[in-house]
Amino acid sequence: MGKLLSSPKLLVIAIAAIAVLLVSVAGGALGASFGLGFLGGPIPFISLPAEQVASIGGYPLLNTTIMFWVGGLALLFVAWRAGRKPKDVPSGWQNLMEMIYEFFSNTVDGVAGGTPKAGRRFLLLVSTIFLVVMIINWAGILPGVGSIGKIESIEQWVHHHAEAIEEEVHADHPEYSDEQVEVLALVHLLEEHEFESFIAFDGMIVPLGRGEQARVPLNKIVTFSHHDLEVLEEAAKADALASGEAHDILESIHDDIEAGVVKSSFIYDEGESSEKTYDFTGKTAGLLIPYLRGASTDINTTLAIAIVAMFTVQVWGFKALGFRGYSGKFLVNPITKGPIATFVGLLEAFGEITRTISFTFRLFGNMFAGEILLIAMAFLLPLIGIIPFMGLELFVGVIQAYIFAMLTLVFGVMAVASHGDHDSHAEDH
Amino acid sequence: MFDAAAAKPLAAALAIGLGALGPGLGIGLLAGKAMEALGRNPEAVGPVQQNMILALAFAEAIAIYALVIAIIILFV
Repeated sequence: MGKLLSSPKLLVIAIAAIAVLLVSVAGGALGASFGLGFLGGPIPFISLPAEQVASIGGYPLLNTTIMFWVGGLALLFVAWRAGRKPKDVPSGWQNLMEMIYEFFSNTVDGVAGGTPKAGRRFLLLVSTIFLVVMIINWAGILPGVGSIGKIESIEQWVHHHAEAIEEEVHADHPEYSDEQVEVLALVHLLEEHEFESFIAFDGMIVPLGRGEQARVPLNKIVTFSHHDLEVLEEAAKADALASGEAHDILESIHDDIEAGVVKSSFIYDEGESSEKTYDFTGKTAGLLIPYLRGASTDINTTLAIAIVAMFTVQVWGFKALGFRGYSGKFLVNPITKGPIATFVGLLEAFGEITRTISFTFRLFGNMFAGEILLIAMAFLLPLIGIIPFMGLELFVGVIQAYIFAMLTLVFGVMAVASHGDHDSHAEDH
Repeated sequence: MFDAAAAKPLAAALAIGLGALGPGLGIGLLAGKAMEALGRNPEAVGPVQQNMILALAFAEAIAIYALVIAIIILFV
């Protein structure tokens, strides 16, 4: 303490750190309950499936796909830098890559039996999985990922969500015309998502400083009552949409959806604890669709890597033991070896599938939970709350990549090891 | 008795709450045993740590499955 007071530089840094801490506590969601919260954004929208940012000739381009390409390009760049001018005494990029190579070369040999070059066949896939998974995990926490994007308007949102319901309605009632199906789907959508909340945007940016109040429920953007929906549904079923009350209701709902702005009736009132009210009238409502999103937060990415890993494990097994030898692990003759061995063999075959699933969910769950954690911390404690968790995410990213690679290696070693007691004697000399 | 919207957060909380119970115990046991092993044989830090982290990931994965279920219940 005495040292702190005697050194003005340290004192200034300490005071600045405390000030930032206080500002972030007051500015975040904690401060919002005391009427502050000037830095807090609206409660973020969390989407489980990856979002579509564009479509190239009917092919949906997802934000996670772009991120995977970014990761691949980064890896290519590192490999090119490392291999451009190889030197006998490595330095820089070459040193880094050689370190990774050496580490995996030793690990693979160690797990595969301890003799040099024992695990050569595993090296390529195992180290590739490690590098790819690590790069895509780390790329997911770069600044700008998940926070820069386009605004999905209410119209697009309704169109997007109504499609699935339309198909359902059409399947149940093939006799309805397209218009009837459309209206019925709309009615279902509005009924189901009445309180679905949207962000009231400030021009093109997500508004800061109004905390969770900037989230506007759907029924404040599109005006309708339950009575309206009932009238509409009956009219749609009776095919009487052309005129009358139902026609007017439908018209007004369509107008509201097209406009996609917060209705004049919505003024957020915080309640008795605060006198602050916010007027969101006329602001564009919608959802943020980020252009970039960590590739491993998409279950398709992790499933693809898992399938590649487990498929290659089978290939290794067949290569090492031959067709009869490897399939003999799963299909055991119940008469010669006994029914229990048969059952164990079937369980083993089932295990290969569950391993793929657990690969998928382990990586996806970890990275998706990490993303939510970062979003939640940025929401609760802006400015500083996110910093320790960024460090945690870096650690989790590399650990998950290591686990993915090591498990592939372990499964591979198990697959090439021949089965049964007499065989294993032959293996270890 | 419950409507679907009210049951959702409850179901998600139960899923992750109960699902974290087992892995929590498992991770505790695992780390405890690893520390014990290190106390007996401090030179074996490298392999013990490596294997412990691998096994921890297995235990943790079970909690992650519960978390995925909870997230699916909440957001889908």
